[in-house]
Amino acid sequence: MAGLATNPNVYGVVIVSMEPMSAQKLADRITPSRRPVVCFDYDTCGGPINVVQQASRAAMYMVAEASGQSREEIPLSALVLGVECGGSDTTSGVIGNPVIGLVSDLVVEHGGTVILSETVEWMGAEEKLAARCEKKETVARIYRSVQFYEDYVRRIGQDLRGSNPTPDNIKGGLSTIEEKALGSVKKGGTKAIRDLIGYAEKPACSGLVLMDAPAAGVENMTGLAAGGCQMILFSTGKGNPIGNPIVPTVKITGNPRTIENAAETIDVDLSSVITKDLSLEQARDLLVDFAARCANGRLCAAEILETVDISISRIGYTV
Amino acid sequence: MKHCVRITSKDNVATLLIDLRKGDVMTLENGEALQAREDIPYGHKIALEAISKGMPIIKYNETIGVAQEDIYTGDWVHIHNCAPIRGGERE
Repeated sequence: MAGLATNPNVYGVVIVSMEPMSAQKLADRITPSRRPVVCFDYDTCGGPINVVQQASRAAMYMVAEASGQSREEIPLSALVLGVECGGSDTTSGVIGNPVIGLVSDLVVEHGGTVILSETVEWMGAEEKLAARCEKKETVARIYRSVQFYEDYVRRIGQDLRGSNPTPDNIKGGLSTIEEKALGSVKKGGTKAIRDLIGYAEKPACSGLVLMDAPAAGVENMTGLAAGGCQMILFSTGKGNPIGNPIVPTVKITGNPRTIENAAETIDVDLSSVITKDLSLEQARDLLVDFAARCANGRLCAAEILETVDISISRIGYTV
Repeated sequence: MKHCVRITSKDNVATLLIDLRKGDVMTLENGEALQAREDIPYGHKIALEAISKGMPIIKYNETIGVAQEDIYTGDWVHIHNCAPIRGGERE
């Protein structure tokens, strides 16, 4: 939560809690980032209705201040880009993900940072990733992270084949986790992997970084947002409307049938790669152009439709 | 419009960009013709060559699974005849 609150896209934070000390504990982790933060709790305010009233008023003034800020140009080197895919079919690995990979390479070449996550979707692609790691310890962590999920699934008596690829991935033509993974990791491009960070951690270096995070879209994007991504590029095959509430989530697809069925959820239509002769490089340029407009304030589909959500991953019991 | 995509020249399957009915003939990217031995949906894989039981299914020049039965040129390749190596009980 502290990661989400200190994402560069966030101006200020209103914390609402039942308990004052829990609220203060979170506020103390946000204050060093020098953004406004205020807390409201049931005890001090006197019940939930008063909390909502006081917190809404504080939020309103914060929105007024935030809206008075003007945009400043920043270099690409200051960008932390998250890459994601969901509702994957075989066009994802052939068009959507490779195009995002080309943008990832471009961002890294300009000194920016790219976070590739979804650990389960490295399964079968570990060797390809390992060969690109700068540090030996990152290689070991890749194998360990994937092994954790593989062991976990086995321990609870499940078979990944029941859930990943999902039944809809399978209907879309993906047969195995390896096939999905090899398509999925293309989002990270081709550059050297500089580090592997934990769920929701902020990268300590620029360049391409892996994040050990679950593959489910909402949980994963929550991790990317907490890790400081200012924008997420999201490739979909069959269509997937979900976005993150604090990070603009740009949707692309290469599937012409998805454009027919759910055009309103797609920001950048790359189906011309199939139906005409658009090259992947031309597709990259279309995506970069849209992403730049989005960074300048143009809203993306998930923001307009408010199909946004946050879910923090937890594996295990609450104690 | 292209009929299919073979991602690398080492691949023994291609991804369809059209729906094929049994007996339909499509054109590969190199201009050769290939006949479908069964109905194969858009987005799914077709075998470009015979793949014996136990041999790897190759896409992206990588093994994406193992043939569960003898597969013939023009067959539909999917979960009924291509099994993952990872993520299951085996190993």
